[in-house]
Amino acid sequence: MSGFLSGAWAVARKDLLLETRSRERFVSMATFAMLVAVVFSFSLDPSVRARSIAGAMLWVTILFAGTLGLGRSFALERDSEALTGILVSPIPRGALFLGKFLANLAVVLAVEAVIFPVYGLFFGLNYGAGALGLLLVVLLGTIGFMALGTLFSAMAAHTRMGDSLLPVLLLPLLIPVVIFAASATQRLLIGRPLGEVQGSLRMLLAFDLVFLFVCTASFGAVVEE
Amino acid sequence: MDAQMDTGSLAGTRRWSVILGLLATVSLVAGLWMIFFYAPTESEMGVVQRIFYVHLPSALVAYLAFGIVALCSLGYLWLRDERLDAIAVCAAELGVIFTTAVLTTGPLWGRIAWGAWWVWDARLSFTLLLWFIYVGYFILRGATENPERGKRFAAVLGIVGAVDIPLIHMSVQWFRSQHPKPVVLKPEGPSLAPEMVQTLLVNMLAFMLLFFCLLLARYVVERLSRRIDATRLLRAA
Repeated sequence: MSGFLSGAWAVARKDLLLETRSRERFVSMATFAMLVAVVFSFSLDPSVRARSIAGAMLWVTILFAGTLGLGRSFALERDSEALTGILVSPIPRGALFLGKFLANLAVVLAVEAVIFPVYGLFFGLNYGAGALGLLLVVLLGTIGFMALGTLFSAMAAHTRMGDSLLPVLLLPLLIPVVIFAASATQRLLIGRPLGEVQGSLRMLLAFDLVFLFVCTASFGAVVEE
Repeated sequence: MDAQMDTGSLAGTRRWSVILGLLATVSLVAGLWMIFFYAPTESEMGVVQRIFYVHLPSALVAYLAFGIVALCSLGYLWLRDERLDAIAVCAAELGVIFTTAVLTTGPLWGRIAWGAWWVWDARLSFTLLLWFIYVGYFILRGATENPERGKRFAAVLGIVGAVDIPLIHMSVQWFRSQHPKPVVLKPEGPSLAPEMVQTLLVNMLAFMLLFFCLLLARYVVERLSRRIDATRLLRAA
Protein backbone atom coordinates (compact mmCIF):
# COMPACT_ATOMS: atom_id res chain seq x y z
CA MET A 1 0.00 0.00 0.00
CA SER A 2 2.82 2.39 0.86
CA GLY A 3 4.40 1.56 -2.54
CA PHE A 4 1.11 2.46 -4.18
CA LEU A 5 0.87 5.79 -2.41
CA SER A 6 4.52 6.69 -2.91
CA GLY A 7 4.13 5.88 -6.61
CA ALA A 8 1.09 8.12 -6.83
CA TRP A 9 2.94 10.84 -4.99
CA ALA A 10 5.93 10.57 -7.34
CA VAL A 11 3.68 11.04 -10.38
CA ALA A 12 1.80 13.94 -8.78
CA ARG A 13 5.05 15.59 -7.71
CA LYS A 14 6.47 15.32 -11.23
CA ASP A 15 3.38 16.94 -12.74
CA LEU A 16 3.20 19.69 -10.15
CA LEU A 17 6.90 20.43 -10.50
CA LEU A 18 6.47 20.82 -14.26
CA GLU A 19 3.44 23.01 -13.66
CA THR A 20 5.08 25.29 -11.08
CA ARG A 21 8.07 25.75 -13.40
CA SER A 22 6.05 26.58 -16.53
CA ARG A 23 2.69 27.70 -15.06
CA GLU A 24 1.32 26.95 -18.55
CA ARG A 25 -1.94 25.38 -17.56
CA PHE A 26 -2.61 27.56 -14.55
CA VAL A 27 -2.15 30.82 -16.45
CA SER A 28 -4.26 29.79 -19.44
CA MET A 29 -7.04 28.36 -17.25
CA ALA A 30 -7.18 31.31 -14.87
CA THR A 31 -7.16 33.83 -17.73
CA PHE A 32 -9.83 31.88 -19.54
CA ALA A 33 -11.96 31.75 -16.37
CA MET A 34 -11.71 35.53 -15.96
CA LEU A 35 -12.70 35.98 -19.60
CA VAL A 36 -15.75 33.78 -19.05
CA ALA A 37 -16.71 36.12 -16.21
CA VAL A 38 -16.30 39.09 -18.57
CA VAL A 39 -18.43 37.34 -21.21
CA PHE A 40 -21.10 36.66 -18.58
CA SER A 41 -21.20 40.28 -17.48
CA PHE A 42 -21.63 41.50 -21.07
CA SER A 43 -24.11 38.85 -22.14
CA LEU A 44 -26.43 39.10 -19.14
CA ASP A 45 -29.23 41.60 -19.17
CA PRO A 46 -28.43 44.39 -16.66
CA SER A 47 -31.72 43.73 -14.88
CA VAL A 48 -30.63 40.19 -13.95
CA ARG A 49 -29.29 40.07 -10.43
CA ALA A 50 -26.01 38.15 -10.73
CA ARG A 51 -26.37 36.89 -7.17
CA SER A 52 -29.43 34.86 -8.09
CA ILE A 53 -27.59 32.89 -10.80
CA ALA A 54 -24.04 32.98 -9.41
CA GLY A 55 -24.05 29.26 -8.55
CA ALA A 56 -24.67 28.39 -12.17
CA MET A 57 -22.13 30.91 -13.49
CA LEU A 58 -19.42 29.68 -11.13
CA TRP A 59 -19.87 26.04 -12.04
CA VAL A 60 -20.08 26.70 -15.77
CA THR A 61 -16.79 28.57 -15.43
CA ILE A 62 -15.18 25.81 -13.35
CA LEU A 63 -16.27 23.13 -15.82
CA PHE A 64 -15.07 25.07 -18.87
CA ALA A 65 -11.75 26.14 -17.37
CA GLY A 66 -11.19 22.69 -15.87
CA THR A 67 -11.88 20.92 -19.16
CA LEU A 68 -9.46 23.29 -20.88
CA GLY A 69 -6.72 22.33 -18.43
CA LEU A 70 -7.52 18.62 -18.49
CA GLY A 71 -6.91 18.59 -22.22
CA ARG A 72 -3.23 19.21 -21.53
CA SER A 73 -3.04 16.68 -18.73
CA PHE A 74 -1.67 13.83 -20.85
CA ALA A 75 -0.34 15.91 -23.74
CA LEU A 76 3.25 15.94 -22.52
CA GLU A 77 3.31 12.19 -21.98
CA ARG A 78 1.79 11.55 -25.37
CA ASP A 79 3.95 13.95 -27.38
CA SER A 80 7.29 12.77 -26.04
CA GLU A 81 6.25 9.10 -25.68
CA ALA A 82 7.00 9.53 -21.99
CA LEU A 83 3.95 7.49 -21.02
CA THR A 84 5.78 4.34 -22.09
CA GLY A 85 8.55 5.31 -19.68
CA ILE A 86 6.12 5.70 -16.81
CA LEU A 87 4.34 2.47 -17.74
CA VAL A 88 7.53 0.39 -17.62
CA SER A 89 8.44 1.83 -14.22
CA PRO A 90 7.29 -0.27 -11.25
CA ILE A 91 4.31 2.00 -10.51
CA PRO A 92 0.90 0.31 -10.46
CA ARG A 93 -1.55 1.68 -13.03
CA GLY A 94 -3.94 2.72 -10.26
CA ALA A 95 -1.17 4.74 -8.62
CA LEU A 96 -0.40 6.43 -11.93
CA PHE A 97 -4.06 7.42 -12.17
CA LEU A 98 -4.16 8.66 -8.60
CA GLY A 99 -1.01 10.74 -9.12
CA LYS A 100 -2.38 12.31 -12.29
CA PHE A 101 -5.67 12.94 -10.52
CA LEU A 102 -3.98 14.65 -7.55
CA ALA A 103 -1.93 16.90 -9.82
CA ASN A 104 -5.00 17.89 -11.84
CA LEU A 105 -6.94 18.47 -8.63
CA ALA A 106 -4.25 20.77 -7.26
CA VAL A 107 -4.09 22.82 -10.47
CA VAL A 108 -7.87 23.22 -10.73
CA LEU A 109 -8.17 24.11 -7.03
CA ALA A 110 -5.55 26.79 -7.59
CA VAL A 111 -7.58 28.14 -10.51
CA GLU A 112 -10.72 28.09 -8.34
CA ALA A 113 -8.83 30.14 -5.77
CA VAL A 114 -8.68 32.79 -8.50
CA ILE A 115 -12.21 32.28 -9.84
CA PHE A 116 -13.99 32.87 -6.55
CA PRO A 117 -12.39 36.23 -5.62
CA VAL A 118 -12.76 37.45 -9.22
CA TYR A 119 -16.46 36.56 -9.31
CA GLY A 120 -16.91 38.08 -5.88
CA LEU A 121 -15.37 41.29 -7.15
CA PHE A 122 -17.10 41.43 -10.55
CA PHE A 123 -20.57 40.43 -9.39
CA GLY A 124 -20.57 41.69 -5.82
CA LEU A 125 -20.91 38.28 -4.19
CA ASN A 126 -20.54 38.01 -0.46
CA TYR A 127 -18.97 34.71 0.62
CA GLY A 128 -18.63 35.64 4.30
CA ALA A 129 -20.99 33.39 6.24
CA GLY A 130 -21.06 30.44 3.87
CA ALA A 131 -17.30 30.28 3.29
CA LEU A 132 -16.76 26.94 5.03
CA GLY A 133 -19.68 25.34 3.21
CA LEU A 134 -18.51 26.73 -0.13
CA LEU A 135 -15.04 25.37 0.48
CA LEU A 136 -16.48 21.90 1.06
CA VAL A 137 -18.81 22.06 -1.96
CA VAL A 138 -16.03 23.21 -4.27
CA LEU A 139 -13.58 20.63 -2.96
CA LEU A 140 -16.02 17.72 -3.22
CA GLY A 141 -17.37 18.85 -6.59
CA THR A 142 -13.89 19.27 -8.03
CA ILE A 143 -12.76 15.83 -6.80
CA GLY A 144 -15.58 14.16 -8.73
CA PHE A 145 -14.94 16.34 -11.76
CA MET A 146 -11.23 15.52 -11.79
CA ALA A 147 -11.72 11.79 -11.22
CA LEU A 148 -13.80 11.44 -14.38
CA GLY A 149 -11.81 14.15 -16.13
CA THR A 150 -8.43 12.48 -15.61
CA LEU A 151 -9.72 9.14 -16.94
CA PHE A 152 -11.29 10.68 -20.03
CA SER A 153 -8.40 13.03 -20.76
CA ALA A 154 -6.15 9.94 -20.91
CA MET A 155 -8.51 8.47 -23.50
CA ALA A 156 -9.03 11.68 -25.47
CA ALA A 157 -5.27 12.26 -25.71
CA HIS A 158 -4.93 9.01 -27.66
CA THR A 159 -7.59 9.78 -30.26
CA ARG A 160 -7.49 11.66 -33.53
CA MET A 161 -9.77 14.37 -32.15
CA GLY A 162 -7.67 14.98 -29.05
CA ASP A 163 -8.88 17.65 -26.67
CA SER A 164 -12.04 18.45 -28.63
CA LEU A 165 -13.41 15.00 -27.74
CA LEU A 166 -13.03 15.51 -23.99
CA PRO A 167 -16.04 17.77 -23.24
CA VAL A 168 -18.31 15.64 -25.43
CA LEU A 169 -17.58 12.56 -23.34
CA LEU A 170 -17.21 14.27 -20.00
CA LEU A 171 -20.12 16.70 -19.66
CA PRO A 172 -23.05 14.24 -19.77
CA LEU A 173 -21.35 12.05 -17.16
CA LEU A 174 -20.71 15.05 -14.92
CA ILE A 175 -24.34 16.09 -14.63
CA PRO A 176 -24.84 14.52 -11.16
CA VAL A 177 -21.92 16.55 -9.80
CA VAL A 178 -23.17 19.70 -11.53
CA ILE A 179 -26.68 19.34 -10.13
CA PHE A 180 -25.67 19.00 -6.50
CA ALA A 181 -22.63 21.31 -6.58
CA ALA A 182 -24.36 24.19 -8.35
CA SER A 183 -27.51 24.04 -6.22
CA ALA A 184 -25.52 23.86 -2.97
CA THR A 185 -23.30 26.74 -4.09
CA GLN A 186 -26.33 28.82 -4.97
CA ARG A 187 -27.99 28.19 -1.61
CA LEU A 188 -24.87 29.10 0.34
CA LEU A 189 -24.43 32.26 -1.73
CA ILE A 190 -27.89 33.52 -0.85
CA GLY A 191 -27.10 33.01 2.81
CA ARG A 192 -28.76 29.67 3.64
CA PRO A 193 -27.21 27.80 6.57
CA LEU A 194 -24.76 24.94 6.10
CA GLY A 195 -27.30 22.47 7.46
CA GLU A 196 -29.48 22.96 4.41
CA VAL A 197 -26.83 21.70 2.00
CA GLN A 198 -25.70 18.77 4.12
CA GLY A 199 -27.63 16.35 1.92
CA SER A 200 -25.95 17.70 -1.21
CA LEU A 201 -22.52 17.44 0.41
CA ARG A 202 -23.20 13.83 1.31
CA MET A 203 -24.28 13.07 -2.27
CA LEU A 204 -21.16 14.75 -3.67
CA LEU A 205 -18.99 12.69 -1.32
CA ALA A 206 -20.72 9.51 -2.48
CA PHE A 207 -20.20 10.44 -6.15
CA ASP A 208 -16.52 11.15 -5.47
CA LEU A 209 -15.97 7.75 -3.89
CA VAL A 210 -17.81 5.94 -6.69
CA PHE A 211 -16.00 7.84 -9.47
CA LEU A 212 -12.57 7.49 -7.84
CA PHE A 213 -13.06 3.76 -7.41
CA VAL A 214 -14.37 3.10 -10.93
CA CYS A 215 -11.83 5.33 -12.63
CA THR A 216 -8.85 3.95 -10.70
CA ALA A 217 -9.99 0.42 -11.45
CA SER A 218 -10.54 0.97 -15.17
CA PHE A 219 -7.52 3.19 -15.83
CA GLY A 220 -5.35 0.13 -16.44
CA ALA A 221 -7.44 -0.76 -19.48
CA VAL A 222 -6.94 2.74 -20.91
CA VAL A 223 -3.14 2.93 -20.79
CA GLU A 224 -2.18 -0.69 -21.43
CA GLU A 225 -0.13 -0.99 -24.61
CA MET B 1 -9.58 -16.65 -35.05
CA ASP B 2 -10.86 -19.77 -36.72
CA ALA B 3 -12.59 -18.41 -39.81
CA GLN B 4 -14.24 -21.71 -40.70
CA MET B 5 -15.91 -22.13 -37.32
CA ASP B 6 -17.06 -18.50 -37.48
CA THR B 7 -19.06 -19.03 -40.67
CA GLY B 8 -21.12 -21.81 -39.15
CA SER B 9 -22.10 -19.85 -36.05
CA LEU B 10 -23.01 -16.78 -38.12
CA ALA B 11 -25.34 -18.75 -40.39
CA GLY B 12 -27.20 -19.90 -37.28
CA THR B 13 -27.36 -16.34 -35.97
CA ARG B 14 -28.73 -15.15 -39.29
CA ARG B 15 -31.41 -17.82 -39.26
CA TRP B 16 -32.51 -16.74 -35.77
CA SER B 17 -32.57 -13.13 -36.89
CA VAL B 18 -34.94 -14.02 -39.74
CA ILE B 19 -37.22 -16.06 -37.44
CA LEU B 20 -37.35 -13.23 -34.91
CA GLY B 21 -37.96 -10.80 -37.76
CA LEU B 22 -41.01 -12.73 -38.90
CA LEU B 23 -42.36 -12.92 -35.35
CA ALA B 24 -41.66 -9.21 -34.88
CA THR B 25 -43.53 -8.34 -38.08
CA VAL B 26 -46.60 -10.31 -37.03
CA SER B 27 -46.63 -8.84 -33.52
CA LEU B 28 -45.93 -5.30 -34.75
CA VAL B 29 -48.88 -5.47 -37.14
CA ALA B 30 -51.06 -6.85 -34.35
CA GLY B 31 -49.71 -4.17 -32.00
CA LEU B 32 -50.46 -1.38 -34.46
CA TRP B 33 -53.98 -2.70 -35.03
CA MET B 34 -54.53 -2.76 -31.26
CA ILE B 35 -53.17 0.78 -30.86
CA PHE B 36 -55.59 2.22 -33.41
CA PHE B 37 -58.68 0.01 -33.20
CA TYR B 38 -58.65 -1.96 -29.96
CA ALA B 39 -57.42 0.35 -27.19
CA PRO B 40 -60.02 2.88 -26.06
CA THR B 41 -59.30 6.61 -26.37
CA GLU B 42 -58.02 8.05 -23.14
CA SER B 43 -60.58 10.43 -21.66
CA GLU B 44 -58.28 13.24 -20.49
CA MET B 45 -55.44 13.30 -23.03
CA GLY B 46 -57.43 12.16 -26.04
CA VAL B 47 -56.13 10.35 -29.07
CA VAL B 48 -52.54 11.54 -28.59
CA GLN B 49 -52.22 9.16 -25.64
CA ARG B 50 -51.94 6.30 -28.17
CA ILE B 51 -48.33 7.31 -28.83
CA PHE B 52 -47.61 5.94 -25.36
CA TYR B 53 -47.82 2.38 -26.75
CA VAL B 54 -44.77 3.14 -28.90
CA HIS B 55 -43.03 5.45 -26.44
CA LEU B 56 -42.82 3.14 -23.42
CA PRO B 57 -41.74 -0.02 -25.31
CA SER B 58 -39.02 2.00 -27.09
CA ALA B 59 -37.74 3.27 -23.75
CA LEU B 60 -37.66 -0.22 -22.23
CA VAL B 61 -35.84 -1.62 -25.25
CA ALA B 62 -33.32 1.24 -25.12
CA TYR B 63 -32.61 0.58 -21.43
CA LEU B 64 -32.20 -3.12 -22.21
CA ALA B 65 -29.76 -2.23 -25.00
CA PHE B 66 -27.63 -0.08 -22.71
CA GLY B 67 -27.66 -2.84 -20.11
CA ILE B 68 -26.30 -5.22 -22.75
CA VAL B 69 -23.60 -2.66 -23.66
CA ALA B 70 -22.50 -2.46 -20.02
CA LEU B 71 -22.36 -6.24 -19.51
CA CYS B 72 -20.56 -6.86 -22.80
CA SER B 73 -18.08 -4.04 -22.09
CA LEU B 74 -17.23 -5.58 -18.75
CA GLY B 75 -16.97 -8.99 -20.37
CA TYR B 76 -14.73 -7.63 -23.13
CA LEU B 77 -12.23 -6.06 -20.73
CA TRP B 78 -12.15 -9.30 -18.80
CA LEU B 79 -12.06 -11.94 -21.53
CA ARG B 80 -10.91 -9.83 -24.53
CA ASP B 81 -13.37 -11.70 -26.70
CA GLU B 82 -13.92 -9.99 -30.05
CA ARG B 83 -17.56 -11.16 -30.11
CA LEU B 84 -18.46 -9.36 -26.88
CA ASP B 85 -17.19 -6.09 -28.32
CA ALA B 86 -19.21 -6.70 -31.49
CA ILE B 87 -22.38 -7.26 -29.45
CA ALA B 88 -21.67 -4.11 -27.42
CA VAL B 89 -21.35 -1.96 -30.57
CA CYS B 90 -24.55 -3.35 -32.08
CA ALA B 91 -26.50 -2.94 -28.84
CA ALA B 92 -25.21 0.63 -28.40
CA GLU B 93 -26.28 1.50 -31.92
CA LEU B 94 -29.78 0.13 -31.37
CA GLY B 95 -29.89 1.84 -27.98
CA VAL B 96 -29.22 5.20 -29.61
CA ILE B 97 -31.87 4.52 -32.26
CA PHE B 98 -34.56 3.54 -29.75
CA THR B 99 -33.61 6.46 -27.47
CA THR B 100 -34.06 8.71 -30.48
CA ALA B 101 -37.52 7.17 -30.92
CA VAL B 102 -38.30 7.93 -27.26
CA LEU B 103 -37.05 11.49 -27.65
CA THR B 104 -39.17 11.97 -30.78
CA THR B 105 -42.42 10.42 -29.58
CA GLY B 106 -42.17 12.13 -26.18
CA PRO B 107 -42.30 15.74 -27.41
CA LEU B 108 -45.07 14.88 -29.92
CA TRP B 109 -47.17 13.79 -26.97
CA GLY B 110 -45.91 16.54 -24.66
CA ARG B 111 -46.89 19.27 -27.12
CA ILE B 112 -50.55 18.29 -26.64
CA ALA B 113 -50.54 16.99 -23.06
CA TRP B 114 -48.22 19.53 -21.44
CA GLY B 115 -48.47 22.32 -24.01
CA ALA B 116 -44.70 22.28 -24.55
CA TRP B 117 -42.41 20.26 -26.80
CA TRP B 118 -39.81 19.95 -24.13
CA VAL B 119 -39.70 20.40 -20.37
CA TRP B 120 -36.69 19.71 -18.14
CA ASP B 121 -38.47 16.95 -16.33
CA ALA B 122 -36.47 14.16 -14.68
CA ARG B 123 -37.20 11.38 -17.14
CA LEU B 124 -36.76 13.57 -20.22
CA SER B 125 -33.46 14.94 -18.99
CA PHE B 126 -32.31 11.44 -18.08
CA THR B 127 -33.14 10.04 -21.52
CA LEU B 128 -31.46 12.97 -23.23
CA LEU B 129 -28.28 12.43 -21.20
CA LEU B 130 -28.33 8.71 -22.05
CA TRP B 131 -28.53 9.68 -25.70
CA PHE B 132 -25.53 12.00 -25.35
CA ILE B 133 -23.43 9.38 -23.54
CA TYR B 134 -23.94 6.77 -26.23
CA VAL B 135 -23.52 9.22 -29.10
CA GLY B 136 -20.19 10.01 -27.40
CA TYR B 137 -19.50 6.25 -27.41
CA PHE B 138 -19.56 6.27 -31.21
CA ILE B 139 -17.58 9.49 -31.56
CA LEU B 140 -14.93 7.94 -29.30
CA ARG B 141 -14.76 4.74 -31.34
CA GLY B 142 -14.64 6.68 -34.59
CA ALA B 143 -11.85 8.96 -33.39
CA THR B 144 -9.55 6.17 -32.22
CA GLU B 145 -7.16 5.09 -34.97
CA ASN B 146 -5.91 1.88 -33.40
CA PRO B 147 -8.95 -0.46 -33.50
CA GLU B 148 -7.85 -2.54 -30.51
CA ARG B 149 -7.46 0.64 -28.46
CA GLY B 150 -10.85 1.85 -29.69
CA LYS B 151 -12.49 -1.29 -28.33
CA ARG B 152 -10.82 -0.87 -24.96
CA PHE B 153 -11.75 2.81 -24.72
CA ALA B 154 -15.33 2.09 -25.72
CA ALA B 155 -15.54 -0.67 -23.12
CA VAL B 156 -14.27 1.69 -20.41
CA LEU B 157 -16.85 4.29 -21.44
CA GLY B 158 -19.51 1.55 -21.43
CA ILE B 159 -18.62 0.61 -17.86
CA VAL B 160 -18.17 4.13 -16.47
CA GLY B 161 -21.41 5.11 -18.22
CA ALA B 162 -23.24 2.18 -16.65
CA VAL B 163 -22.03 3.16 -13.17
CA ASP B 164 -22.88 6.81 -13.78
CA ILE B 165 -26.35 6.23 -15.23
CA PRO B 166 -28.00 5.35 -11.88
CA LEU B 167 -26.37 8.43 -10.35
CA ILE B 168 -27.66 10.60 -13.20
CA HIS B 169 -31.09 9.07 -12.75
CA MET B 170 -31.08 9.80 -9.02
CA SER B 171 -29.79 13.35 -9.46
CA VAL B 172 -32.27 14.44 -12.10
CA GLN B 173 -35.03 12.81 -10.06
CA TRP B 174 -33.95 14.93 -7.13
CA PHE B 175 -33.67 17.96 -9.39
CA ARG B 176 -37.27 17.86 -10.60
CA SER B 177 -40.06 15.61 -11.68
CA GLN B 178 -43.26 16.30 -13.56
CA HIS B 179 -43.36 13.26 -15.84
CA PRO B 180 -46.59 11.26 -15.56
CA LYS B 181 -46.16 8.77 -12.72
CA PRO B 182 -45.94 5.08 -13.60
CA VAL B 183 -49.39 3.78 -14.50
CA VAL B 184 -48.60 0.12 -15.17
CA LEU B 185 -45.90 -1.07 -12.81
CA LYS B 186 -47.03 0.00 -9.38
CA PRO B 187 -47.87 -1.88 -6.19
CA GLU B 188 -51.66 -1.56 -6.31
CA GLY B 189 -51.87 -2.92 -9.87
CA PRO B 190 -52.27 -1.13 -13.20
CA SER B 191 -54.68 1.81 -13.29
CA LEU B 192 -55.14 1.55 -17.05
CA ALA B 193 -58.15 0.00 -18.75
CA PRO B 194 -57.48 -3.71 -19.42
CA GLU B 195 -57.57 -3.13 -23.20
CA MET B 196 -54.85 -0.50 -22.78
CA VAL B 197 -52.68 -2.86 -20.76
CA GLN B 198 -53.12 -5.59 -23.37
CA THR B 199 -52.18 -3.21 -26.17
CA LEU B 200 -49.12 -2.13 -24.22
CA LEU B 201 -48.02 -5.70 -23.52
CA VAL B 202 -48.40 -6.77 -27.15
CA ASN B 203 -46.38 -3.77 -28.27
CA MET B 204 -43.70 -4.42 -25.67
CA LEU B 205 -43.38 -7.98 -26.93
CA ALA B 206 -43.26 -6.71 -30.53
CA PHE B 207 -40.51 -4.20 -29.73
CA MET B 208 -38.48 -6.82 -27.84
CA LEU B 209 -38.71 -9.19 -30.81
CA LEU B 210 -37.79 -6.38 -33.17
CA PHE B 211 -34.85 -5.42 -30.99
CA PHE B 212 -33.39 -8.92 -30.85
CA CYS B 213 -34.01 -9.43 -34.57
CA LEU B 214 -32.10 -6.22 -35.37
CA LEU B 215 -29.39 -7.01 -32.83
CA LEU B 216 -28.66 -10.40 -34.39
CA ALA B 217 -28.85 -9.06 -37.95
CA ARG B 218 -26.54 -6.18 -37.08
CA TYR B 219 -24.21 -8.56 -35.28
CA VAL B 220 -23.83 -10.71 -38.38
CA VAL B 221 -23.02 -7.63 -40.47
CA GLU B 222 -20.52 -6.40 -37.87
CA ARG B 223 -18.72 -9.74 -37.74
CA LEU B 224 -18.62 -10.03 -41.53
CA SER B 225 -17.27 -6.51 -41.97
CA ARG B 226 -14.57 -7.20 -39.37
CA ARG B 227 -13.64 -10.38 -41.19
CA ILE B 228 -13.33 -8.41 -44.44
CA ASP B 229 -11.15 -5.81 -42.71
CA ALA B 230 -8.91 -8.54 -41.32
CA THR B 231 -8.58 -10.19 -44.73
CA ARG B 232 -7.71 -6.84 -46.30
CA LEU B 233 -5.02 -6.24 -43.68
CA LEU B 234 -3.59 -9.70 -44.40
CA ARG B 235 -3.53 -9.02 -48.15
CA ALA B 236 -1.86 -5.66 -47.65
CA ALA B 237 0.81 -7.13 -45.38
